[in-house]
Amino acid sequence: MTTAENKERSTSQVLQKPARSKLRREISRHRSVYLLALIPLVYYIIFKYVPIWNAQIAFRDFMAVRGVTGSEWIGLENFRTFVDSFYFWSLIRNTVMYSVGKLVISLPLSIILAICIYECTKPGLRKVVQTLAYLPHFLSWVIMYGILLALLAPGDGVVNDVIKLAGGKAIDFLSNVKTFPWVVLFSDAWKEMGWSAIIFIAALMGIDVSLFEAAMVEGANSWQRVRYITIPAIMPVVVTVLILKLGTILDAGFNQIFMLYSPQVYSVADIIDTWVYRQGLLEFEFGLATAVGLFKGVFGMMLVLFANWLSRRLTDNSLF
Amino acid sequence: MAEIKRRHLKYELQNKKVKLTKADHVFNVVVNLFMVFILIVILIPVWSTITLSFRPNDYLGSNLEGMFLPPWQWSPDAYTALLGNDGFLDAFFNSFRILVGGVATALILTIPMAYVLSVHSLPGRKIINLIVIIPYVFNVGMIPTYLLVRDLGLMNHLSAVFLPGAISTYNCIIMRQFFVGIPNELKESARIDGCTELQVLFRIILPLSKAIVMTIGLYYGVSFWNDFFNAMLYLNDNQPLPILLRNILLASGMNEYVEVNAFGNAPVSAIKAASVFMSAIPMIVAYPFIQKYFTKGTLLGSVKG
Repeated sequence: MTTAENKERSTSQVLQKPARSKLRREISRHRSVYLLALIPLVYYIIFKYVPIWNAQIAFRDFMAVRGVTGSEWIGLENFRTFVDSFYFWSLIRNTVMYSVGKLVISLPLSIILAICIYECTKPGLRKVVQTLAYLPHFLSWVIMYGILLALLAPGDGVVNDVIKLAGGKAIDFLSNVKTFPWVVLFSDAWKEMGWSAIIFIAALMGIDVSLFEAAMVEGANSWQRVRYITIPAIMPVVVTVLILKLGTILDAGFNQIFMLYSPQVYSVADIIDTWVYRQGLLEFEFGLATAVGLFKGVFGMMLVLFANWLSRRLTDNSLF
Repeated sequence: MAEIKRRHLKYELQNKKVKLTKADHVFNVVVNLFMVFILIVILIPVWSTITLSFRPNDYLGSNLEGMFLPPWQWSPDAYTALLGNDGFLDAFFNSFRILVGGVATALILTIPMAYVLSVHSLPGRKIINLIVIIPYVFNVGMIPTYLLVRDLGLMNHLSAVFLPGAISTYNCIIMRQFFVGIPNELKESARIDGCTELQVLFRIILPLSKAIVMTIGLYYGVSFWNDFFNAMLYLNDNQPLPILLRNILLASGMNEYVEVNAFGNAPVSAIKAASVFMSAIPMIVAYPFIQKYFTKGTLLGSVKG
């Protein structure tokens, strides 16, 4: 058979084949890919979808002996209990306060740090700062709590030693409602500042160096170069980061607050997640706790979808 | 970061040609001062913890003075006490088992998932994508997962610590993004040469993805090594390091927590600080080796998420 004939045959074959069997052929061509997907998908069904199924206990009067589907339906009772309770607004307020506060403190810090790392003229200093600034991100909040104890303990903490040396009175930072929020905000800044700077450093590395050269030839000094080249260049990334943070505004850092707080500071420390934990797993109010978790989940989903949409509209960057 | 270095060399050449003004000098001083400031801010808490962990038992001064105690007066009592304690070694070993089991499971699940999502010609890819994204966007909280783990009979199993988080969708998306970036021609030519999809993954994709696999492996490793919440919920014995550390830290006096007593004659605060430092050591030791991968991998993931 000649090539021309061959070609003709295959063309006519393709023309005759209905779309359906083309799909079937595509599927059979990819069967090993489906095989690869099988185990992860089973994992997803069990560990991500069964919990969603379990979340129906938010609408039930959950009793462990009766199981998820055996407990009685009570409609929105659990949600009503939560929304009407006095802690509702304080939980929302604390949660939003911590996530916004962290953003307000860490974002400028990490931008400045990124710019300084980029502009630093001493390679040794740059390398040391870069390495050390990323490191705390990898420490757990249990370790952070230990470090904060050495620093802030009322009796023998270093900070209180300094306060006493200056003639002040020792402060119990972690169990004082006035100081606790600041400890949360600044310990988070200390831990995550370097890590959040990475994305800005990446953006800075994308700047065309010839822009700087041109500016220098035109007589711009370093301040002007930062003001008119560097900052405008990373602005889109800043906007993206801001928008994506908007989507996670209800996640105020469970692990951190759970490690640092104590009953004395519940009024300013409790966020939605810590409350869900105490209500559900310590008081065994599974239904109520799940309802609050679901409440957070639904709002969180709307925020993430909105943020993602906004980010795609404004900056052409999106998470999915 | 070789990239920055190269840019700076260019920069310095330029700086020699163009005369630096006074404003430039001020700028450089401000930048360097800020860097030194950050360095000090990072180091003070770390230094106070380290010196505290070497505090001798008969030390009478304040902790502030203790930060300037000369090293020859330091005492390793807290460390010998910790290393001689079976509870601590057991916890370390448990943490290690969770780390190895967790990272292996997580990578075995995440790599294929990310690869499948990166095959653009796959019929039904959109559906699979949706299956992956929905639980990521819609998070129902901790109680339903707790019920699941309980119903599966995983209570008091070490795997309960890492199984609920064995695929992080975020990591999966970053990895997929990397796979998508690998030129399609490479994959197609391998397929034409008769490679199955498994072979494409193992022979073409994975050898090119060392940076991203290391980075994602690191992320998983950190999250499993640091986890105390799942361990607290699901484990009664066989507890890993963060739980032991938490118990040691929350013990306020010598008598309150029996096991602190069992640590010999070092001061309690030194024991606490030493256990903090010991829990951080694996991270600190592994860190320089993986740093080059994660800066590369994170940049890849973050620029176009």
